[in-house]
Amino acid sequence: MLYQEIVEEEMAIMDAETPDEPAKTLSPHEIHVPLHSLMHPPVIVDSGASAQEAIDQMLDNKVGAILIVSDGVLKGIFGERDVLLKILNKPVGDLTQIPIQQFMKTDPQTAHVEDSLDAAILYMAEGGYRHIPIVNEQNQPVGMVSIRHIISYLVEHFPQEVLTLPPKPTNEVMKAREGA
Amino acid sequence: MDAQTLSLPISILNLNQPCTVEMGTPISEVINLMQKGRFGCVLVVDARERLAGLITERDLLVHIAEVRANPDTVRVDDIMTPSPESLRPSDSMAFALNLMHLGHFRHIPLLVGESDEGEGVYPASVVSSKDIANYVAAFLERGKEE
Repeated sequence: MLYQEIVEEEMAIMDAETPDEPAKTLSPHEIHVPLHSLMHPPVIVDSGASAQEAIDQMLDNKVGAILIVSDGVLKGIFGERDVLLKILNKPVGDLTQIPIQQFMKTDPQTAHVEDSLDAAILYMAEGGYRHIPIVNEQNQPVGMVSIRHIISYLVEHFPQEVLTLPPKPTNEVMKAREGA
Repeated sequence: MDAQTLSLPISILNLNQPCTVEMGTPISEVINLMQKGRFGCVLVVDARERLAGLITERDLLVHIAEVRANPDTVRVDDIMTPSPESLRPSDSMAFALNLMHLGHFRHIPLLVGESDEGEGVYPASVVSSKDIANYVAAFLERGKEE
């Protein structure tokens, strides 16, 4: 009888500590976060820069893509994938002598500062892009959003579910042997 | 999309089989594979097909001078990330997000089998931040239709 009382008492405490709240949700309208609140400053080179200068800027700034401008206006984007597809294993010659314009992707998909994150996510999924330049009314780059921003946004929206995990998943079920 | 979505296994993302190469493969061959298959990363396995490392576009960029100068003498194991962080296909999406966020990883190998230490061994697929973004995009598309 005493045992039963202890169990009931423990259960009451557990019920009090873990209120029956609905699971946290992410509605489409909640992804209407303005890009200007998420974007990072873009890394920019002038259209007269060499391919080597652009690569050095990507490495120095630890970014996966760089924007190319002429008179401040966006002309193109150059990223890690362009290095893989257009430069490596190709007889392109001395990168210090070749303008980045030769390798950049012209007229990239852009978003505006007042656009929201969901627009950027859809652009990325539709075009297979990892980076979306953010431009102002004059098509001057003012920021960049990347897939990493989406990951960070999800983590910040569900911190309880993501940031409180143990260092490694436990696979106790798999480890248990029959009859053990 | 709710918190319970994050407890679903990574395998619901319908991931493809990974592109793998053996240790010692010349980097020029790895680049060819990545170009033809448009892979953002390739897994490196040992002679027993156990995961040994991972190489990404970023690794190629970091070592571009060396790779361009010596494409036939640089080997994949010279510039790969050895023993990368990994998960299992049955692990939850929350673990993938956690690793991508805290470790700044773009690709996480998913392993099956079990070592003596209880770790996965053989590559089954790779989950990338792009896979997660595409999953969110599909959720947004469904939201627009409703």
